[in-house]
Amino acid sequence: MIKKSQRKLNIGFSLVMVLFFLLLLQISPRLAWLFVLSLALGFTLQKSRLCFAASFRDPWLVGSTKLTEALIIILLICIPGFAIVYHFFTVCNIPIALNVTPFGIHTFIGGILFGIGMVLAGGCASGTLMRVGEGFAMQMIALVGLIIGAFLGKVSLPYWLQIFHEFPAVFLPNIMGWVPAVITQLLILLLIWQLIRRWQRKRKELT
Amino acid sequence: MATYYLDIWGEMCPIPIIKTQRKLKELKCGDTLVLETDHSCTSRALVVWAQEHGHKVKEEEVANGIWRIELTKMR
Amino acid sequence: MEDRADQNALAEKGSQMGEKFKVIYKGPWEYWVGAVVLAILNIIVLLVRQRPWGITTNIEEWSMWLAGQIGLYRDQVLSLKELFLTDGTYLNLGLILGAFWATVVASQARFRPLKNKKFAISALLGGILMGYGARIAHGCNIGLVLNGIASSSLAGWIFTLAVLVGAWVGAKLLLRFLL
Repeated sequence: MIKKSQRKLNIGFSLVMVLFFLLLLQISPRLAWLFVLSLALGFTLQKSRLCFAASFRDPWLVGSTKLTEALIIILLICIPGFAIVYHFFTVCNIPIALNVTPFGIHTFIGGILFGIGMVLAGGCASGTLMRVGEGFAMQMIALVGLIIGAFLGKVSLPYWLQIFHEFPAVFLPNIMGWVPAVITQLLILLLIWQLIRRWQRKRKELT
Repeated sequence: MATYYLDIWGEMCPIPIIKTQRKLKELKCGDTLVLETDHSCTSRALVVWAQEHGHKVKEEEVANGIWRIELTKMR
Repeated sequence: MEDRADQNALAEKGSQMGEKFKVIYKGPWEYWVGAVVLAILNIIVLLVRQRPWGITTNIEEWSMWLAGQIGLYRDQVLSLKELFLTDGTYLNLGLILGAFWATVVASQARFRPLKNKKFAISALLGGILMGYGARIAHGCNIGLVLNGIASSSLAGWIFTLAVLVGAWVGAKLLLRFLL
């Protein structure tokens, strides 16, 4: 097995990316910067080997919770982060929309299907895209599946809504106010983190 | 002080870890298990798992994007 | 004699720092480091996009366009031009290219082929389940788990709990069929 530097490929690819960025800049600066951000997201995911599928799957399969804890860290930062940005934008009258979606029993079913699917496919939605970039044939097939599944989901949603009532979106700050909502969610996450730590300690004592 | 090779080539996460856990149970303290993978997630997860469970682990990139891991059972 | 020792110590220090620098572009980063960086990037996307980061909404748009192209769907879908002007397309495209770039920078780029047909089947089936589940719930692991909870939305918590249950079922299936 040989190991050679891929510097030429690196330089070539970097040039293409810069050109693409400049091209996008002509069309819309917003698109260009979002493209750069997503490059950074893909880069970060690959370098840190973060995998949300593993966050949910590894506790059951191998007893490892490192990635579950990583997900909790992200949420601990983003919940107050989103709250601050939302507040700031609203005060400055800049339009902003958060992901507050309606839900019903079909939402829960969708989550179960998604959980099963990501374990079988070897990655979640972001993990699949990341591994397509890494060159995995398996996730390229999973991406095809994602596209097919999205189509099937979209056309079958009306039937689900006929069977199950969809509750209007529940924005927690509307129910309990901003500060209590943020603090409650953070406390829940910290509690889960503590429980995970305790579970790990118990497992270590048993072996 | 035997050395064993476990084939996890092309297996998706977390199958290599499950297989490693099972194989390690059969090994004696001091035995070494050698694994090779082209999966960055797997390689990382194996190293983290081994360190968490107190085993000695050595990871080396032997070719472009291919990692070789030597796990020595310590407990 | 002391000069030589000092020089050696300095060289040692230099190569240690070189090793540390190598981790930045070769990886792997510590999980918590990746988590913090990802969280910050996620917030910046919210700032720029004025909406949170999401993956499957755009995938659904592309799948509907494809369906329209091959005659499976008659209703209104986004045109190709519109698709190339939506930010979702570039968020997804950039993620793939960013991950690829990450492997090239570390000289770790390679095609990683399938080793067993059973993984092709589970990948296709898994992908379909993911796409389906994500769209009847209006989000995926990023849109609902990460950004639903980050948006203080109850639906995010409900979906996350369901994914945990699903992962448990999936784990059982994996042990039974894929091990």
